Amino acid sequence: MARPQIKEISFEIDGREVRAPEGTMLVDAAKSGDVEIPYFCYEPKLGQPVGACRMCLVEIEGMPKLQTSCSTPVKDGMVINTTSDRVKSAQNAIVEFLLINHPLDCPVCDKGGECPLQDISYGWGGGKSRFIEPKRHFRKPLELSPLVAIDRERCILCYRCVRFSQEVAEDYQLVFLERGDHTYVGTHDGRPYVGPFSGNILDLCPVGALTSTAYRFRARPWDVEEAGSLCTLCPSQCNVQLTIRDDSKVLRAFARDNPEVDDGWLCDKGRFGYQAIHSEERLRAPMVRDGSMLREAPWDHALEQAAAALTRAGAGTAALAGGATTNEEAFLLGHLMREALGSPHLDARAGGALDPQQARVLARPDLSARVSDIDHADVILVVDTELVEEAPILDLRVRKAARRNNAKVVTLTGRPSSLDPNATAAVRFAPGAAEAALSALAAELGSGRATGSRLHSRAGCEPGAIGAAAEVLRAAGDVVVLWGERISDGARGASAVDALLAVAGALGIVDRPESGLIEVPAATNARGMREAGVAPGLAPGLTDAPEAGMPAAEIAGALGAGELSALILLHEDPLATHPERRRWQTALDTAATVIAFTDFVTTALRDYATVIFPAESYAEKEGTLTHPDGRLQRVRQAIGHQGQVRPEWSVLAELAGRCGARPDVRSAPQVTQKLFATVGFLDGLTLDEIGGKGVRWQDRDAASNLPRAELPEGTLEVPPELPEGMRLGTVPSLWAGTTVEHAPSLRFLAPVQRAELAPADAHRLGVGSGDEVEVAAGGQRLRATVALRQAMQPGSVFLVSGTADNNATALTNGVPRTVEITKTAGAVNGAGPPAAAPAAPGPGAQPPPV
Amino acid sequence: MTGQLKKLTANYDEPDLHRMEVYERLGGYGSARKAALDMTQEEVLDQLEASGLRGRGGAGFSMGKKASFIPEGTMEKYLCCNADESEPGAFKDRVLMQRNPHQLIEGCIIGAIAAQATRAFIFIRGEYETQAKMLDAAVTEAYEKGYLGSGIFGSQTDLELVVHRGQGAYICGEESALLDALEGKRGNPRLKPPFPANQGLYQGPTLINNVETLCNTPAIIEHGPEWFAAMGVDKSTGTKMVSVSGNVQRAGNFEVELGIPVREIIYGLAGGPPEGRDLKCFFPGGSSAPVLTKEHLDLPFTYEAMAEAGSMLGTASMIVVDDSQPIVPLALNLAGFYRHESCGKCVPCREGTNWTVHMLERIDQGDATPMDLEIMAEVQTNIIGNCLCVLGDSMAMPIGSMIKHFRGEFEQHIEAARAARDREHIRAFSAGELAAAGEAGPA
Ligand SMILES: Cc1cc2nc3c(=O)[nH]c(=O)nc-3n(C[C@H](O)[C@H](O)[C@H](O)COP(=O)(O)O)c2cc1C
Ligand code: SF4
Ligand code: SF4
Ligand code: FES
Repeated sequence: MARPQIKEISFEIDGREVRAPEGTMLVDAAKSGDVEIPYFCYEPKLGQPVGACRMCLVEIEGMPKLQTSCSTPVKDGMVINTTSDRVKSAQNAIVEFLLINHPLDCPVCDKGGECPLQDISYGWGGGKSRFIEPKRHFRKPLELSPLVAIDRERCILCYRCVRFSQEVAEDYQLVFLERGDHTYVGTHDGRPYVGPFSGNILDLCPVGALTSTAYRFRARPWDVEEAGSLCTLCPSQCNVQLTIRDDSKVLRAFARDNPEVDDGWLCDKGRFGYQAIHSEERLRAPMVRDGSMLREAPWDHALEQAAAALTRAGAGTAALAGGATTNEEAFLLGHLMREALGSPHLDARAGGALDPQQARVLARPDLSARVSDIDHADVILVVDTELVEEAPILDLRVRKAARRNNAKVVTLTGRPSSLDPNATAAVRFAPGAAEAALSALAAELGSGRATGSRLHSRAGCEPGAIGAAAEVLRAAGDVVVLWGERISDGARGASAVDALLAVAGALGIVDRPESGLIEVPAATNARGMREAGVAPGLAPGLTDAPEAGMPAAEIAGALGAGELSALILLHEDPLATHPERRRWQTALDTAATVIAFTDFVTTALRDYATVIFPAESYAEKEGTLTHPDGRLQRVRQAIGHQGQVRPEWSVLAELAGRCGARPDVRSAPQVTQKLFATVGFLDGLTLDEIGGKGVRWQDRDAASNLPRAELPEGTLEVPPELPEGMRLGTVPSLWAGTTVEHAPSLRFLAPVQRAELAPADAHRLGVGSGDEVEVAAGGQRLRATVALRQAMQPGSVFLVSGTADNNATALTNGVPRTVEITKTAGAVNGAGPPAAAPAAPGPGAQPPPV
Repeated sequence: MTGQLKKLTANYDEPDLHRMEVYERLGGYGSARKAALDMTQEEVLDQLEASGLRGRGGAGFSMGKKASFIPEGTMEKYLCCNADESEPGAFKDRVLMQRNPHQLIEGCIIGAIAAQATRAFIFIRGEYETQAKMLDAAVTEAYEKGYLGSGIFGSQTDLELVVHRGQGAYICGEESALLDALEGKRGNPRLKPPFPANQGLYQGPTLINNVETLCNTPAIIEHGPEWFAAMGVDKSTGTKMVSVSGNVQRAGNFEVELGIPVREIIYGLAGGPPEGRDLKCFFPGGSSAPVLTKEHLDLPFTYEAMAEAGSMLGTASMIVVDDSQPIVPLALNLAGFYRHESCGKCVPCREGTNWTVHMLERIDQGDATPMDLEIMAEVQTNIIGNCLCVLGDSMAMPIGSMIKHFRGEFEQHIEAARAARDREHIRAFSAGELAAAGEAGPA
């Protein structure tokens, strides 16, 4: 299903001859004639128009009745009138009808000043009301959810929120209840509307019926300014608009439509996570260790201490970068490590380094898809990633393609996917067996590269399941593959990526411009960090590093063994995100120096950091990020730095200077420039060119500077047999991490540990939903609550990674691992709301080694 | 033309007509068999179109033409029989289904062949429990005979037929709301286009017809389109079931040839208003049709003549109002029905029906002025033509017509009710029942 070709036609509107793309709805086409048609219910992001509000009626020559311009596609030669007496009286009538039951409480309504109902009433209404009957009353305001308040008297029943729930998020929670003039918005059973995307209805509501409990009564539109930026809380990198008061406070975040990135949606973490910026607990000044205590210190002192320690360690320094580290910070970290300290040991991946050659192959423009390719794909293949937790906006994108463009979805995952109900074929493999599953798929697709017998049983798949998936894929034209970074983790990561490339080869992806792969990474800016040279084997621009360094797992070992002595943690807490938590504990304990950049002092940092520099929030930062599909986008500073926070690029530059290699940069844009000049395939790029919507580097001529990398051709390795026993898999939670813990509105969503089991396994273990169990492996154990999942592959157990307590990283070791599960009697996760409990317990309180 | 012309109802006096053997003995299923075995789909379509048969469910659109809109292609196609009959005054489909369920099933088979549909649904009003049971029994008989199911009548054609009971909402008779309801959704009308013929049930091409429309098809196939077209006048061909109710001496269903004078229906067949009373107005096509008055009695009962007179033939449900009925309570009752049945999806209908009811209540209770009559008339104008489906118009048009024909009576009612209310206030005030007149409100 290629992108449709659209031709221009001409038509007449209010006496003017104008042109517009054929098939555009009149309400949009009118804009090309500078004509504004008022509307409420029309919102193309929600799918087909519903024609409920009737605000957009216009006169079309040759049609006896007025027509809704939101649902009438423009045709060549159409003659449209939007200002005739008939149209005007219809517009007056609709406004009058809308207002008769509206409370008209604008002075106390949050929407006042930015309300389409106000604007349209003024612009197209008759300016008077003849309604003297009693108005409709509801109890108000009520909590629709902990995040959204509903005032049903203000609601104009435009269908937007309900359609969002039904047709975009597909959570099917919001409905209309009752009928006629008694109709109101609610949930089936009066339960709160909770879902990862619920906040979008705040942007959609054209009146003050839905308001954000976090923003309610905080400001009026004329008190605030708006600033466009990016959300840096997950790899989706949605475009946001921040509402700023007094240049210093973020009051709200909402979507800044970018069809190439986010389709104008945000998840609730992106929408409410801004609260963490102003958390009391946020670090606002440097801290330096003084004996067993961390004490606030002046910048100069902190920099001095850090530089001295790093200089001492020199090539014995390692660095981990994570999260939302910008391209510029990544670049300067590389400079600090490689130029100033002479150390090649830097990594941005928890699960093991990507083979440099594979990194270059995966970056090939002809192998990569853009986000909007998902819209027009025939088949979307989802490989071992749970989009709704890892890149939520892509989950909506896949749903949209399936619902509106009849794209077929194939899920190939270890854990039951939330996209299974939309999938034509859903294939389950054993946790960690992605390599075998992909090899089996490659074989079914006729790839000559696949070898080995009984591949599906090595993958732990139902016989026939892979064949069914292959059948769907074989019949497809354009295929977009969304694959989770986790398949490339561990010792067999490279073989798994090779198998993925074999699948891509069998699908002929390089020959189809709208087919391609998109990696769904663990860290927000994983792609940017890699391309800026934060990888043990890669220099900026995906060229081979002059000296190969150690990947994260080896760094842990070397620190523990005293082979390395210092560690820089740039937005990373290995105890929260890296496997083999105990090994990292030893590493941190043994390291002479730990220099961290962070916004919140986690337990690990409190216990082990030598110097901590306060990190900027994304609202304070200036820089660029690279989307998983290769799009460079700008993070723009929206508020002044809080407390003593300094731009991190300048701190990194200063540290490098004090360690003997001062980079020649004096401003953030200069760092960007230097990065672009260093990375071949970003050559000539400027911040202006990136602009507000971003630029995919693959779309620029300089893309040809990507070091050449041929597609692999040899036979695949034979994947190993599955280990016996209960195999452990992990799934991250969107709601894990410090942002949610420190954003009061979101705290109720912070995850607790749960063990997802197939009913058959639960039965065998004698446990049921809600029971508490102990999960143990390699002498480590943690507690979890059992959650039964019908679609779970027997023999698998899935735990949540990143929880504050009982983090699954205690058990994971980067290879497929089996665990013991036993029923316990005690309480899990302590009492009370999980986020209110202290973060991960200190080293002493960790599950006792056995 | 006078009296009834019984074609659809020709065999209605036959005992046990609802049973397969009786229906077949009288020639039943011959047409469906012929359509399935001896005719091509195009031939069936052509005959239906040539007969001039128009939809009997309200809009009066040519049945054959509508069926011809169903696109070619391999996608699943559907036939839906609209048996929701919820319009006040309409009770003809009920008798058609109850007396002769096999005639409808045979009609469905013919309709399905014309539309190339392999799945058919009869969406029957929830309250029609008896009729639904009888249909179910008849459908079972038809399956047993092989007239439904795979390879009907031994042909290559498959047809599944399901009787689905509605849940008691008038709006579910609107064809697109019917489809949503069938799909298990809230029964709200859909925006058109796309029309059901292109994208109907489960997005597939769908032919929707009224019970009576489909019941007419077996005879057309049996006797030929010319036979059918010879009945009636102009573009109103065939016979029509007329349900007469209200202030008449013999209420009931009558089958008449289209073109019969209205007077003949109201006075000849239904016996006219009770002794000593005179005709005030009548709804020629159900409660949604604007009222007509005595001056229209000699019009021929055709789609064209009713439309020209400013009303419509609609479902041909003749509600007769005599001069003993005051107009305001009638209007209030009617508006109340539509307000209650409005689905609430679109603004003019949702708010306009509600507002109209409030105003009529005030008029009735003596709390209105003639100004309100102006506003009420304008509200009707503001509804008409601006709604998503025609339910809004279905209230606004008759209410508007009542104001037009009986403005004087409305005004008198306003004045009289005000005077009565004032008198009551004064009485209550003198009796000490009210502390102050200011607190007075409508009872
Ligand atoms: C509010 C509303 C209610 C309706 N109810 C019915 C009904 O109960 N039965 C019916 O046959 N048509 C009803 N219709 C008309 C249908 O929408 C549709 O026009 C009809 O079923 C088409 O069949 P026909 O062409 O055979 O008349 C209704 C229309 C509206 C707007
Ligand atoms: S709550 Fe807002 S978005 Fe939802 S139907 Fe009402 S007005 Fe529309
Ligand atoms: S006209 Fe009335 S019944 Fe029809 S869609 Fe609008 S609100 Fe619903
Ligand atoms: S915008 Fe067209 S009907 Fe609402």
